[in-house]
Amino acid sequence: MGDTLKKIRLIRKTSKTFLGISALLMLVSTVALYFYLRNLLQSEVEEELRSTEARIESSLVENPEPFQLSPVVEIQKVSRLGNEVLKDTIIYDPSQDEMEEFRELSTFSAINGENYRITVRALVVESENILIAVVISYLVIILLVFLFLFYVNRSKNQKLWTPFFHNLEQMKRFSLSSDAPIALMDSEILEFSELNTEIKLLTNKVRSDYRNLKQYTEDVSHEMQTPLAIIQAKIENMINIEEPLDDQQFEQLTSIQRDIQRLSQMTKRLTLLTKIENNQFANVEQLDITRLMAVTVQDFCEISNNAIKVDFEYPIKVDMDPYLATVLCNNLVSNAIKYNIAQQDIVVGSTVDDISISNAGTTPLKHPDSLYNRFYRESDGVKATGLGLAIVKRICDLYGFGIDYRFSGDRHVFTIHFGKK
Amino acid sequence: MKILIAEDETELQKSIATYLERDGNVCEMASDYHEALYKIDLYEYDLLVLDINLITGSGLDILKLLKRNRSETPTIIISANNSLDDKLEGLDLGADDYLTKPFHLAELNSRIKAVLRRGKFGGNDRLEFHEISIDTRSRTAYVNEQALSLTRKEFDLLLFFVTNKGRVLSKEIIAEHLWGDHSDLADNFDFIYVHINNLRKKLTEAGAKYIKTAYGSGYKFVEE
Repeated sequence: MGDTLKKIRLIRKTSKTFLGISALLMLVSTVALYFYLRNLLQSEVEEELRSTEARIESSLVENPEPFQLSPVVEIQKVSRLGNEVLKDTIIYDPSQDEMEEFRELSTFSAINGENYRITVRALVVESENILIAVVISYLVIILLVFLFLFYVNRSKNQKLWTPFFHNLEQMKRFSLSSDAPIALMDSEILEFSELNTEIKLLTNKVRSDYRNLKQYTEDVSHEMQTPLAIIQAKIENMINIEEPLDDQQFEQLTSIQRDIQRLSQMTKRLTLLTKIENNQFANVEQLDITRLMAVTVQDFCEISNNAIKVDFEYPIKVDMDPYLATVLCNNLVSNAIKYNIAQQDIVVGSTVDDISISNAGTTPLKHPDSLYNRFYRESDGVKATGLGLAIVKRICDLYGFGIDYRFSGDRHVFTIHFGKK
Repeated sequence: MKILIAEDETELQKSIATYLERDGNVCEMASDYHEALYKIDLYEYDLLVLDINLITGSGLDILKLLKRNRSETPTIIISANNSLDDKLEGLDLGADDYLTKPFHLAELNSRIKAVLRRGKFGGNDRLEFHEISIDTRSRTAYVNEQALSLTRKEFDLLLFFVTNKGRVLSKEIIAEHLWGDHSDLADNFDFIYVHINNLRKKLTEAGAKYIKTAYGSGYKFVEE
């Protein structure tokens, strides 16, 4: 599954890979170097020991008396010859006045009828120091090289991917509702250039599909009004004919009138939504939204079965299209009236930059996320177009107002934040 | 009254004509742009009901031509387009009213009468029906010269009844006349009963019993 994968930035990922491989290479090569150098140094010491021993042997030929040069040379007369021994040993070094590690070669040889044991030693410290020095300098050099390569590589990568990142940002900002063309950065990289072409094709296609869809909605809404008008007119002539209808026929005809009204409302609202999305309300004025709200509430008071209480502390000035402002207030108030419970008040209030309106309810909404979707209805009981809040949301989005819903104290509360988000 | 209905849907034409002719009006029809222009040119009408989207041209162009010829024929636009801009454009061009489809014929009728009151009779703001007299400018109604104290909605209701006298008005028609787009708010029309009953009571007290119930749930303003 794609979304279970951990996400990592491209540049980071390539840097990380580079660093990992570098570290591994450094480790392996250093270890190899260490062992190779140590072997080399050991055989060097051994060769030296052997040549010293050979020289001592030849000196013993001329002068049979054994001599000592502790701890480097020890010669002893022995009764029997033994086997040659090559080993590391730790003995006291009087010149350093401490215990030191030596490489020791003991050989037996018979010279002029005498048996000698010749022991020669060489300090190991020296070769070890050399070993460490070489390995460390190697490490430092290779580290520097890798670091340099790392930074060069990274900045190069960053530069290389710049068009990609830029275009990614552009695509994130892509909006169906705006007509601004998507501004893609061109690149000399063939794949990026191809990607750009595809993105342009796709976005254009999406936009034109979206436009067609909107146009379709608008056309359908528009074309529906005339047939509705014909049905409506015919019903009205029918309820006025000379030979009277019976009550049941009349009921059915008026019920059709109600449905026509609903259908007509719905198409009007759909058209309004489309127009808001098309940015067809460009007439922005500063207005006092609290005053407008108060006027709206007054208009609705006589339709509402329950009282609407208004309490505004401060006037709130907003810049928006006056018509949309009216629609906003109307839809909020009518929504509250529609879903209010009998015998409960509707309350409209305000703070410094928000207005909230609440109506009584029994349970919180089951799907508050879908609240602003077109044709979403929480219950089938109320005959609503399911577009009122979708329009409210669109208007808020258009001007960058925030809107939120909460259920508290058995009330559904909608709050519009007029301060810019 | 002689009324020209310029509307390309013949069914709608006929329905409008049927409704208006019951009041003794004479209705003529024009089914497209050219026919409308031709008839306007040839005859004199008291009122023009004009659809904007005529198949062969725009009703707005007809309106422009009328105004250029200094015609004083009052015009009511009926349009499927309910946008504010189109309404304003129509009214700016000199239309006297703008009605969005679908509309109730009773609504069209009351608008026609309002336009005719304002226009041809040189601003005759008084509407008479037996002992009832309605002054539309001061928004006052009198029964036997005795002023009634009516609320805004009750006055609108009375005016609507009188202009559509003898017609059956369903609650839906009345609600839409009084509250327009908001009339869908209440499922039941309790608030209409309240207004109608109050109006009826006030009229009856003043001696005018004309509001009758029709088919149980509708209303009719009739002469006894």
